[in-house]
Amino acid sequence: MRKLIERRTTPAASFTAVALATGLSVVLALVIGGLLFLPFGANPFQAYGALFEAGFATWRGFGFTLVKAAPLILIGLGTICAWRTGFAYLGFEGCLLVGAASATWFSLQVAEGGAIGPLPFAVFLPLAVLVAMLTGAVWAGIVGLFKSRFGGNEVITSLMMNYIAIFLVQYLVSGPLRAKGELPASPRLPQETWLPVILEGTRAHAGILIAMVAAVAVWLLLLRSRVGYELVVTGLNPKAARYGGINVGSRQIIAALLAGGLASLAGMVEVLGVHHRLVDGLSEGTGFIGIVTALLGKLHPLGAVIAALLYAGMSVGADAMQRQAGLPASVIFIVQSLIVLFVLASDLLRYYAIRWPSTPCRPGRVIMTEAGRK
Amino acid sequence: MESDLVLSTFLVAWLAAAVRLAGPLLLSALGEIFAERSGILNVGIEGTMLIGAVASYLVALQTGSPVMGLLAAMLAGLAASLFLAWMYVSVQANQVVVGIIFNILALGLASYFYRLFMGGVSGPQKIVMFEPIAIPFLSEIPLLGPILFRHTVFLYAVMLLVPVAGFVLYRTKLGLRLRAVGENPRAASTAGISVSAMRYVGVLISGAAAGAAGSYLILAQVGLFRETIIAGQGFIALAIVIFGRWNPYKAALAALVFGAADALQLSLQLFQVGLPPQLLLALPYLLTVIAMSGLLGKANQPDALMMPYRRE
Repeated sequence: MRKLIERRTTPAASFTAVALATGLSVVLALVIGGLLFLPFGANPFQAYGALFEAGFATWRGFGFTLVKAAPLILIGLGTICAWRTGFAYLGFEGCLLVGAASATWFSLQVAEGGAIGPLPFAVFLPLAVLVAMLTGAVWAGIVGLFKSRFGGNEVITSLMMNYIAIFLVQYLVSGPLRAKGELPASPRLPQETWLPVILEGTRAHAGILIAMVAAVAVWLLLLRSRVGYELVVTGLNPKAARYGGINVGSRQIIAALLAGGLASLAGMVEVLGVHHRLVDGLSEGTGFIGIVTALLGKLHPLGAVIAALLYAGMSVGADAMQRQAGLPASVIFIVQSLIVLFVLASDLLRYYAIRWPSTPCRPGRVIMTEAGRK
Repeated sequence: MESDLVLSTFLVAWLAAAVRLAGPLLLSALGEIFAERSGILNVGIEGTMLIGAVASYLVALQTGSPVMGLLAAMLAGLAASLFLAWMYVSVQANQVVVGIIFNILALGLASYFYRLFMGGVSGPQKIVMFEPIAIPFLSEIPLLGPILFRHTVFLYAVMLLVPVAGFVLYRTKLGLRLRAVGENPRAASTAGISVSAMRYVGVLISGAAAGAAGSYLILAQVGLFRETIIAGQGFIALAIVIFGRWNPYKAALAALVFGAADALQLSLQLFQVGLPPQLLLALPYLLTVIAMSGLLGKANQPDALMMPYRRE
């Protein structure tokens, strides 16, 4: 039996091979998810049907999907900038939170009686974007500086900064920014600063447009400009980049600033578009799920946008399913993460090829025998 | 005189709480040391702790026995880490990526199984927990007694595991091979050591320890399960490993520092000190950032940490 399989020395990289392996991963994850529905006495096909209908096929659900996708896309874009440069940043949750906090602060300044006073929305929004991006850039830039100047470990530091940001927001909403009232939360933002609804009859707000503009900008910058080229080269091979005259440290800091700036926009979008105030527990893992969708999209802006839309739709559908049919939404989170894990694992499959017993072993491959490899 | 008494009561209560809170951090850090010494950065211990917590809660509730809960948590941790080890070692996927996604998966799994078994039950059900046992004579020592010797069996076991881990790591063949594989896999492989097998062992040890650490929170601290019970303690354990320079004894000290910061925050809230409690809550994380920033010199990590190895 094993003689029918030969081993490649490098994984098959053709579009068909990758698509096949990815498709298999998705199917396998969906099958496992389907099995998890059974103890709850549900028909998996109906459950999935209801899920996709709620997430994608109804006008209202589609609106929610866009709302959920916007921060995921922005975090995903941040991930692309950082990870493509070889900066394994995991602090997007924190960037989102500080971005949300600074956008809240700025929005309150332009309220009636605020320090700045009312501004037209067309002036307010670019300034808010600037404020949020600066905050996030500084937040992530600290980690970038530690890595490039002092050789710090960005994986652990960025994870820890997430918790510091959580406590910072907790402090702000229970202290300096707290509104009079029982719950720790900031005052409601002035309605003039809310992101407008873009689809009639839904909650979809202009955040998705901001995310799309950012996606195009990242695509242009990273894949069509000189700076982007240097960033990507730094990520692919820092030694070669240094030999080629690229200052690796400064490129890593640029990546950190970009990543933080983009991720903090996700926070701004959430505050100005959804919550309309700063609250504790604003994020709940968006900063991590955005990394996952970026990876699913193969760290390409277009891929990240598509993956984020799919992921957001599934989450919206899962919530609807839980409300209407009483099925646990956690199944969908299991399916979503299994898809990514299986896609990663499917790299292993691409090392193997099926051969006909009569044909000789092709060059660059090894026939698998009972004895194992070689 | 009276203020002395207040101070010493406060100190004893604080440090006793520090030791208690350090328990789960230390336990998962000890396991993680084995994974990292073999060359695998197992970020998935955060999720493994959650899986251990839910397994121990459900089993302890069914059987009424905290020991069965602990065993279930370790088994669940082993099962989870077998999958992780396969992803890290056999698939050779990016370790940070696998760990992060696994943590999301674990959240889904824990929430699913909790709902599957507890969905129809209204209101939280408390389980039978490990009770503190004062060790005769030792617990009577002034200051030290109440700080160290009036805890649960579980915590005493964790304390004992520190020298055990040190012995295994530095005084046995297994420990030597594990460290060799983490420092120079090629040389180790040439010497006839199976790099993959050693790395599986490292990850499995970290998984069993993380599962048990998750159950500690249920069986010795809270008695109830909620999805937010871990709240980054797995990540803190990662920091403790680095803080403790991949050494079990130093990790024990580091865990104590983190436990003390956490406990200080609790007691200062009781005393109504003017500081915002969030500042103290953030203290352990701030300490870690500073320790990891490279400002205090570079941590001397295992050379092959996060480097996949494929035999030629």
